[in-house]
Amino acid sequence: MKDTKIQVKDLSLYYGEKKALKEISLEIPRNKVTALIGPSGCGKSTFLRCINRMNDLIPDVKITGQMLVEGVDIYDKNVDVVNIRKKIGMVFQKSNPFPKSIYENIAYGPKINGIKGKNELDEIVEISLRQAAIWDEVKDRLGDSAMGLSGGQQQRLCIARTLAVSPDIILMDEPASALDPISTSKIEELVHELKEQYTIIIVTHNMQQAARTSDFTAFFYLGELIEMGKTNAIFTKPEKKQTEDYITGRFG
Amino acid sequence: MTHFEIELEKLKNIIIKIGSLAESQVVESVKALLSEPIEGKEVKKTENKIDKLDVKIDEVCQSIFALQQPVASDLRFIMAAMQISNEIERIGDLAVSVIKRSKSIKDKHDLIAKFEIADLAKQVELITSKTNECFLTRDEATIGEIFVLNKTIKNKSEDAIHDIIAEMKSHSKAVVSGTNLVIVMKHLERISEHCTNIAEYVHFMVNAKIIKHDKFEDKKEE
Repeated sequence: MKDTKIQVKDLSLYYGEKKALKEISLEIPRNKVTALIGPSGCGKSTFLRCINRMNDLIPDVKITGQMLVEGVDIYDKNVDVVNIRKKIGMVFQKSNPFPKSIYENIAYGPKINGIKGKNELDEIVEISLRQAAIWDEVKDRLGDSAMGLSGGQQQRLCIARTLAVSPDIILMDEPASALDPISTSKIEELVHELKEQYTIIIVTHNMQQAARTSDFTAFFYLGELIEMGKTNAIFTKPEKKQTEDYITGRFG
Repeated sequence: MTHFEIELEKLKNIIIKIGSLAESQVVESVKALLSEPIEGKEVKKTENKIDKLDVKIDEVCQSIFALQQPVASDLRFIMAAMQISNEIERIGDLAVSVIKRSKSIKDKHDLIAKFEIADLAKQVELITSKTNECFLTRDEATIGEIFVLNKTIKNKSEDAIHDIIAEMKSHSKAVVSGTNLVIVMKHLERISEHCTNIAEYVHFMVNAKIIKHDKFEDKKEE
């Protein structure tokens, strides 16, 4: 892989005694979509959360190995975790807008990052909502509560909120699993457009979604990375039998 | 077995069935060429069965694509199934053409002996049965044998056609029978080609590698 954004070297994660990730080594390319797939409990979401150090918040978690973002090990003790999370946005399975107006949801991040000017904030709000493909639906009601939006709109609002603080990397943990097919399709189209500017890592249980949206796919099983490759290759001729069994639904 | 696996098994069984029907048509066509005329009614009945199964395969594949979204080896199997069914249907049609054309060759037995066509016809029978075998067993060695057999059949057919044309040039009385025989040779050659195409699809099914436009030497290497 020529242009690597994230390089993972022998990364292991323990929840107390339990080893949930086992010596994971992989490279995530810049401005591409990488899908993480695998059965429940395989470690894919745990791995995703390692990328912005969200597992730091869980007691008894121990991490060994390296997670290099742009060559910098984000687990190095001199690294400021707040700065990391500024550069790495995250979208969750369940949309979680703040109980504030649509405008405030987007402006919140830039504001706490020190942007005060109204014009500048207006511009960020509009650009972010446009990038998240929701501007046309909400431009006339920016003052309304975000809680009044539909599930699909709320999820795109959360993506816009992530974009507002100009991250480099966007982590998505099953971003469309609770949405109807039309909203899912909008999110998938959005992912496709956003990769021009962002490196995206998406966890999904939906095989077809992984196939449709990603450039690279990594298959996890029992805390191990079984196989990673171009999505086209993984879904047409995977190297490992375990991957083949999983994607064809013959697992276990 | 899951519902999906049952669907795949069903598709496989239809292909085995259509393949064996086409093979029986080829056996009949070789018989019609080398020995006695064949009863047209049975041949027509088998031809209709083949056509119906060909359509059935398209329907089953369409439904699997739409409802199951197959990937990896399943996807390759269904892609290959659609192509293979098409090739088998063509084999059946060509066999019927051989049967029809064989009726109008005068002095057939003398010509067949003179141009050593019996051996070639038997090899076409063999390649057809090997083709059905290779779909069933997915055996790489059988796929290789099919490529070699096809080459042999092509060479023999070209030699025979060359000799028949030479005969027609020197004896004008041989032109009508000779022309019919050349057409039969071409049909047999095409049957062999379709068998080779099927072997290529089986190879794709097993190895995920498309080799249909590779040279003979490269295919043998595979």
